[in-house]
Amino acid sequence: MKQYYDDLFSLCGFEDEEINNERFRIKATLEKLELGPEDMERADSWVRQYHDVSLMGVRKLLGAWLKELIDLVLAKEDGKKIVYYGFPAILGPGLMLSASSDKVFVSAPDMVLDHTMGQIFNKLTPILEAGEANGLPPGHAMCSLWQAKIGGVVKGMIPVPDFALASSYYCDMGSKADDLVTAFYGTPMAYIDGIMDSHWGDFPDFLPERVEYLGGQINQALKKAEDVLGIKIAPDAWEKSQENSKQFRGYLVRLVELMKADPVPLSVVELELLEALSGSSAGRGIREGIKAMEILVKELEERVKAGIGVTEKGAPRVMVRLGHTSDPRVTRLLEDCGLAVPLTFILGSFGGVRVEPKGTYNTPGEIIANYEMTGGYYHGTEAQIQFYEKAAGIMRLDGFVAQYLYNCRPVATISHAQKKYLEEKTGLPVLSLEIDNFDSRTHSADSLRTKVETFAEMLKAKKHK
Amino acid sequence: MLVAGIDIGAATAKAVILKDSRIIGHAVRPVGYDVKIAANEVSREALQDANLSISMDDLDFIVSTGYARESIGFAQKTATEIICHAKGAHFMIPTTRFIIDMGGQDSKAIEVDSEGNVINFTMNDKCAAGTGRFMEVMAHILQVESMTDMGPIALESNDPCRISSTCTVFAETEVVVLRAEGKERKDLIAGVHKAAASRVFAMASGLKCEPDAVFTGGVAKNTGMKKFLENEFKTEFLVPDEPQIIGALGAALIAQTHAGK
Repeated sequence: MKQYYDDLFSLCGFEDEEINNERFRIKATLEKLELGPEDMERADSWVRQYHDVSLMGVRKLLGAWLKELIDLVLAKEDGKKIVYYGFPAILGPGLMLSASSDKVFVSAPDMVLDHTMGQIFNKLTPILEAGEANGLPPGHAMCSLWQAKIGGVVKGMIPVPDFALASSYYCDMGSKADDLVTAFYGTPMAYIDGIMDSHWGDFPDFLPERVEYLGGQINQALKKAEDVLGIKIAPDAWEKSQENSKQFRGYLVRLVELMKADPVPLSVVELELLEALSGSSAGRGIREGIKAMEILVKELEERVKAGIGVTEKGAPRVMVRLGHTSDPRVTRLLEDCGLAVPLTFILGSFGGVRVEPKGTYNTPGEIIANYEMTGGYYHGTEAQIQFYEKAAGIMRLDGFVAQYLYNCRPVATISHAQKKYLEEKTGLPVLSLEIDNFDSRTHSADSLRTKVETFAEMLKAKKHK
Repeated sequence: MLVAGIDIGAATAKAVILKDSRIIGHAVRPVGYDVKIAANEVSREALQDANLSISMDDLDFIVSTGYARESIGFAQKTATEIICHAKGAHFMIPTTRFIIDMGGQDSKAIEVDSEGNVINFTMNDKCAAGTGRFMEVMAHILQVESMTDMGPIALESNDPCRISSTCTVFAETEVVVLRAEGKERKDLIAGVHKAAASRVFAMASGLKCEPDAVFTGGVAKNTGMKKFLENEFKTEFLVPDEPQIIGALGAALIAQTHAGK
């Protein structure tokens, strides 16, 4: 018998058979998330308004996120050992744990909640408020990703993890927020220590000592995970873990090629769904994401052939750092103002901007560290500028929107320097835009629109000169 | 050719009527609760000021700007206040290359080219320090009738107090404490101006402040703020006549380019 959630799940790419097979799990998940018939109606209208549901690939992609959500919410009932890691951090160790035992469920729960409770159900705020009431108070410049994680756990929406992989390698607030999980629930943690900064001009070279140190930290974390979870890291875990992620990355490379078209065939709202999935799921989400990408890439090839895009042909092309993880309205605003966004910083890693790994390493930790080092994210400001500069040529950009979160040290600190150097190096305008990419409660929509609209007009005028 | 520009800001509504590139009428009034009523009223007053017995429908083209620009049903086009201030300032002072606009809710720094086009800009984010609202809050606690009236008092001071809080609410507390310590009113008022000017200077630090620099927006009517901005930027700021209507004027100029197309 048809249930109140069928239409929404169908809109999000679930086949009827999948809904029927998973009824018990869907119902249990929705109950835990306090989602009822009214929420489905709101979500239906929200998804139709802000996601490009004319593309089956996008619908399937939303479905992939929902499947990841179901597995996350029910991981304890499924008898899994649960491991959480933070975003943006090092996905590799999580992938290896996941590949070593089917009894382990590995997730970046904050990202999963943002992309489902935010992007689909538009009901993230109560979770953030729960995070604020439990150790991450409002007004303390706390990242709302961590508020989502803590809030989800304390509300009982997502399970308490058995183990947490904490890394301050990119984000130094993440490991502190993970401390709260330990403080509240006694969850054992492994800290992956590292340093993200390098000398100006070093990148794309990097010191082997950095790989060795970070690799050593990852190896220690994996050893601790083995002890806590009672599993053994399989000798072929890295290769096995790469089976899915390599395939997904392969599609992302094809997608970047398609985004070179004018007009761009896909909205940055959907780009964000894709790039985030690649860094947030080690399980069903990524496997379903591969299926979605297969469909999506074909659909986009058709669009490119037919000259169909999400903005007008000749629209100014800008690269953004990151789309909004929980609120598609914010990202959509760029296109509403007439800007085409062919690339994000993370997606750039898959389209010729990333450099090749260097050296040969044998331990799992060093292999992961070496791979991570090839992305500019794990270096200093100058390396990131190199990324943007390279992308400008590859994607024929007219400008950059360098968003920064006031509460994010790595991003906010470099924002203004980045604008100056990028403008000098590329001659392209840069809009330095304060926007919380994880929480839409903290910005003024009107002020944001004024800035983006002015920048868009500026670029249009420059282009038509 | 008869056109209009309507600027519905956070605090005030402004309208300018332009006839063949000449300002023939303008009006300024508080926005109040309903932006649509404010737009209608300010338009009516501007038409009256222009001695025109016609309605807005009779004009050739209308452009709206300001935060409520999308809500003005009788406007044929919208433009951001940043673009409008650039156009308006350039019209009034053709040598304009840099603009500081301090409005009710936000402040902006704008670089413009020789044709009045925006080539770079920055605008405050969350922080209200450096905005008209900040000045109004301070005027209220220092018992000065209006934000504009604080300017001449600030200029009397030789020893401005240091107001270091970057938050309007905390700065208010700081001023209250300094007042209780017996600091002179003129020094407190000067301190408020200095704090606001330094916030604007910090915000604009990534931009090139080249002459001629122009100061627009409602706060530009405050002579003290002009002086404190000049101290921070180490350059002279020109203030056009009626600096508060520069956004509406820019909107009217844009309207003029679209009329008859």
